[in-house]
Amino acid sequence: MNKISESLKKNRTYLISLILSIMAALIIGGILMAVTGFDPFEGYGAMLNGVFGSARVFGNTLAKMLTLCLTGLAMTVGAKAGLFNVGGEGQLFLGGLAATMTGVALHGVSPAFALPLAFLAAAVTGGIYAWIPAVLKVKLNVSEVITTIMLNSVAIYVCTYLVNSSGPLATDDHGILGGTDAIPEAFRFAQIIPRSNLSTAIIYSAVIAFICWYLMQKTSIGLEMKVTGENERFSFFAGLPKEKIMIWSMVASGAICGLVGMFEVYGYQFRFQDSISNEFYYDGMLVAMIMNYNPIGIIIMSFFFAVIDIGAGAMEFSTGVSGEISDIIFAIIIFLMAAESGITKAVTDRLSQRRARQKLRKGDL
Amino acid sequence: MDSILEVFNIGLFQNTLRTATPVILAAMGGLMTEQAGIMNIGMDGMILAGAFVAVAFSFAMSSAATGVIAAVLCGILIGLFFALFVVKFRSDEFIIGMALNTFAGGLTVYLLRSIFGVKGTFSSEGIVALPVVHIDFLDSIPLIGPLLNDNSIFVYVTWLLVFASWVFLYRTPCGFWMRAAGEHPRSLETAGISPEKMKFLASILCGILCGFAGAHLSLGYLTMFTEGMSNSRGFIAFACVIFGMANPPKVFLAALLFGFLDALGLRLQSVGIPSDLTSTLPYIATVLMLVYVVVATKNKTKKAARKQLEISEGLFNK
Repeated sequence: MNKISESLKKNRTYLISLILSIMAALIIGGILMAVTGFDPFEGYGAMLNGVFGSARVFGNTLAKMLTLCLTGLAMTVGAKAGLFNVGGEGQLFLGGLAATMTGVALHGVSPAFALPLAFLAAAVTGGIYAWIPAVLKVKLNVSEVITTIMLNSVAIYVCTYLVNSSGPLATDDHGILGGTDAIPEAFRFAQIIPRSNLSTAIIYSAVIAFICWYLMQKTSIGLEMKVTGENERFSFFAGLPKEKIMIWSMVASGAICGLVGMFEVYGYQFRFQDSISNEFYYDGMLVAMIMNYNPIGIIIMSFFFAVIDIGAGAMEFSTGVSGEISDIIFAIIIFLMAAESGITKAVTDRLSQRRARQKLRKGDL
Repeated sequence: MDSILEVFNIGLFQNTLRTATPVILAAMGGLMTEQAGIMNIGMDGMILAGAFVAVAFSFAMSSAATGVIAAVLCGILIGLFFALFVVKFRSDEFIIGMALNTFAGGLTVYLLRSIFGVKGTFSSEGIVALPVVHIDFLDSIPLIGPLLNDNSIFVYVTWLLVFASWVFLYRTPCGFWMRAAGEHPRSLETAGISPEKMKFLASILCGILCGFAGAHLSLGYLTMFTEGMSNSRGFIAFACVIFGMANPPKVFLAALLFGFLDALGLRLQSVGIPSDLTSTLPYIATVLMLVYVVVATKNKTKKAARKQLEISEGLFNK
């Protein structure tokens, strides 16, 4: 019982810091707007309107939140086993491209047969691309952080080459600048809110999330992963197949990223373009990290970031404030949350010092 | 075959120097933080911020020197900021670094839009570029004369900086303390020097050097600012630091190798290989370099261990 109240108390201070950080970031963003000659109230008003103004824009926000949740989940799966998959962006690009080409190639085939193949293509491609840095890390101890970042650039450049102008996978349709052929209409995910980006991808995502939750919380695989991630030496002495666990969790992380790429295309973009993702993975990754890989926390924070992101786009459209303000607000929240324990400690230290000083003074009197 | 040979001309090596310079500058900064025991993944953002500030001030004051000074001041500020979070508040270096990159990316585009009213790229006649150095007597040296001449001033500054960093780290007490702050902070503290202060210093030095790198990128290498123009150079610099084991001359060579591959990619475009494919060269090479360095050190330790074993066996058999 004591333990529960303790964890509640810890969560409460965390929650308070989170709310304070968000407020501070919004205020700094507002000051920035004011300094550059915009009315912050008008700006934030446009932001809210751009998110809750209609069912369509709210659907877009939920779709964005979904992407953040899934990328955050991908990061979590790797991190639980002690590997930082920073390369989700590249895995997302390649998975998306593989799924798109599968869809295009299977034109006319029944969706019941084609869709599973597309899922497989996305997951396998993303998984393989994550397998490379995982093996390098586990077998040779090459830092996966750098290799995954490098492989991101490689994947993005290769995809850009493949789908643009004279690339081998580019569309023959001259009316369109860049990108592959569109996937057949029969394969496209149904839209849940008409004309929005929110599609049945949300159902598939829920399934993926459930499988991950089940594997990590309810099976021995999950326990082995956590043990390996938290204490490598212990897992060695417990005789766990450390290398296998680490590699497979990274592959799973890559597979989820590949599926995110597929959902982007099948959900609302319908063709693969080099602009498929604008650093979506980095955003999801940071969300997961500042929420300490807590699933509920990731969902809440993803929603908040989706609001800022989609709202900033609407704000740019109606007031002319550059949409990049979302990145700025986002970064400030992360700075503050990452420094949360440090700042809290500094503040409490200062307070207790003052209290002690006051006591001393009283004693003097 | 002819076209392949054509790729290797003097222009290739000139480009090597040009493209390697920003990476060398950033890597010199990165090795300071690495030596002080901070994993600095935020160099990309530092370079980007430097590049923006340099262009903005060069344009506003119509002076390249002002641009560089402003970039350096900006670097000092970012370095302080980074150290404040990482050292003082003990936040996760990785998170702060990545957030710094996002922050710099967002802020530069935001300011680009609000101040100059453009999106994507800002180039103008008003931006004063860094001077190109021409020394007449270098022309008389055959073969490498033209290579060494007519470079942006930062190319020469960089070579001096490599030497200066080495002297600082290995020949001055302050450099010794900095290395100790990374290797064994406790003993440094016992010696009466605060490791935190050394980490702050390393972080500020890194900020300054990344500011230089950014200024070179936007005023020397090109004369404009483009959204996200650091283009993962901060990450490549970080890889060079690891590859060169944070030792200035080795890091310098690693960065030169990167510059060569980058320049090779540019040259290969002229032979008709798509630019998007040639652009992957430096990144692939970085991965291969890292693998190589790990395997090489592993073999070295293995060899040393075997030798040790042989010696002890020899003693035993006696």
